[in-house]
Amino acid sequence: MSASHFARTQLICNRSLKAATLLVPGLLICGIASALPQPRRQEQHFKVQTHPVVTLHNPNGTITVKAWTKSEVMVISTRASDDVEVDAEQMGNRVDVSAHPTSDNVSPEDMRADYQINVPEDAELQIHNDSGEVNVANVLGDMNVETVAAAVDLEDSAGYVTIKTVGGSFQCTRCAGKLEISSISGNLRLTDIHSYHVHAQTSTGNILFSGEFLPNGLYRLKNYSGVIEVRFSPADSFDLSATSLKGKVNNEASLTPKAHQQHLYSRFGNSLFGTFNAGRAKVELTSFDGTINILKRD
Amino acid sequence: MAPITCKAFLNHLPLRMEGSPSPDADAHLRDCPSCRNVVDDLNAIHSVARSWSAEEAEPPARVWTSLRLQLEQEGLIRDDHKVERELPRSRGFSGWFAGLPRPALAGAYLVLLIAVAFGLSRPTNKRANEARWLEGTQDSTLPLNAQLTAEQVSFASFNDSNPVVTASLNKNLAIVDNYIALCEKSVQEEPQNEVARDYLYEAYQQKADLLAQMTERGENNR
Repeated sequence: MSASHFARTQLICNRSLKAATLLVPGLLICGIASALPQPRRQEQHFKVQTHPVVTLHNPNGTITVKAWTKSEVMVISTRASDDVEVDAEQMGNRVDVSAHPTSDNVSPEDMRADYQINVPEDAELQIHNDSGEVNVANVLGDMNVETVAAAVDLEDSAGYVTIKTVGGSFQCTRCAGKLEISSISGNLRLTDIHSYHVHAQTSTGNILFSGEFLPNGLYRLKNYSGVIEVRFSPADSFDLSATSLKGKVNNEASLTPKAHQQHLYSRFGNSLFGTFNAGRAKVELTSFDGTINILKRD
Repeated sequence: MAPITCKAFLNHLPLRMEGSPSPDADAHLRDCPSCRNVVDDLNAIHSVARSWSAEEAEPPARVWTSLRLQLEQEGLIRDDHKVERELPRSRGFSGWFAGLPRPALAGAYLVLLIAVAFGLSRPTNKRANEARWLEGTQDSTLPLNAQLTAEQVSFASFNDSNPVVTASLNKNLAIVDNYIALCEKSVQEEPQNEVARDYLYEAYQQKADLLAQMTERGENNR
């Protein structure tokens, strides 16, 4: 073999080696990249008109919904694993979001999906979340939230709100409109309320109501055990009916007895009936063996 | 004029609520505070039902079928429409509530069912009265209780894929069962206590809701 042939062969070998040095990692990167799962954080935008409806069905996770001024719905979802898939699709003026497993026997933690959703403030919400949390702020449209163990926290709502939990707690701050809440063991905390209709019921949880009693408003709070606490201000005007069958009724309001008191339950338990100021709102508090506290607001 | 019994008075009740009182019923009502209470309650229900919105959605036909069946089973209306043949179509309970929105009517019928069921347990003396009230409550709740218990047996090993959900549903079912037991004890002790009976009925409703949720989940997990 001549020296020149040897040199040329060596040059070709060196070039091949260089090419392989570049090509193999490249191929490896491409291979790995194609094998990588889809990004677990997903952001989608949907243009909507006035009063859009947003539905969300999720088994486990934290859902945060906030109102914004744009005429669009933004859904940012973060999946805990590739075993869960999040679908978000638009049907007319409705956006449906749901999470579902991609295989059998997915663990609950792998099924977790968290959401950050922005909606126009007049949006209607329908949310179902079994466990985790649901937080909604500044949404003025109607909303229906159902959970099993997930806690629900609302701020500055104004529509017709219906909340149903099995064991999840509920907290509502500065809510207006119409509120209907039911739970079995969740605590219900309603503060700075400006609503004309509040119906809150829990079996073993506590209920706190601190807010305005609007003229012609109806405020019905009921539990089985636990404490029902209502805080009133001197300017409030309400007609009060408070009954605890086996528990106590503690009252700080100076009530005027009603002239013709007729009430189905007055014969049983510890009852208190009367009018505070002009009695313009109607307040009904009922407990089986819990304590009812009617206290002055600080 | 022979005085009529409370049960006979209840037969006059639909006509009376329609604005056609009978002397016998009037006489009975003057002397019977319990029937007066029933009539007062019905008047209150009627006026509240009228105030409910007429724009609410109509419930499905099965609600009416179920209500009618329940009223027939309780013996409060007859299957042979005898009353309807004797009276113009607008008479009877349906005529009495004619013009009310159907959801309001559904609520009114249910409350009426309970009110009349308790109204049937009449006082002649306190002990007999309490026994009859208790019997009335048990008659109303026993079939429901049996049905719910049978349903619950099938969920002895309920297991959702999410253990938090399983724990919460089982825990709350136990809470409701305990709540039912305590309410039943209260009703036993004070059969005429409307609060205790209301709570008992509500507890059964909560149990039915929970079992329905568990059924749905059980089916979805299959």
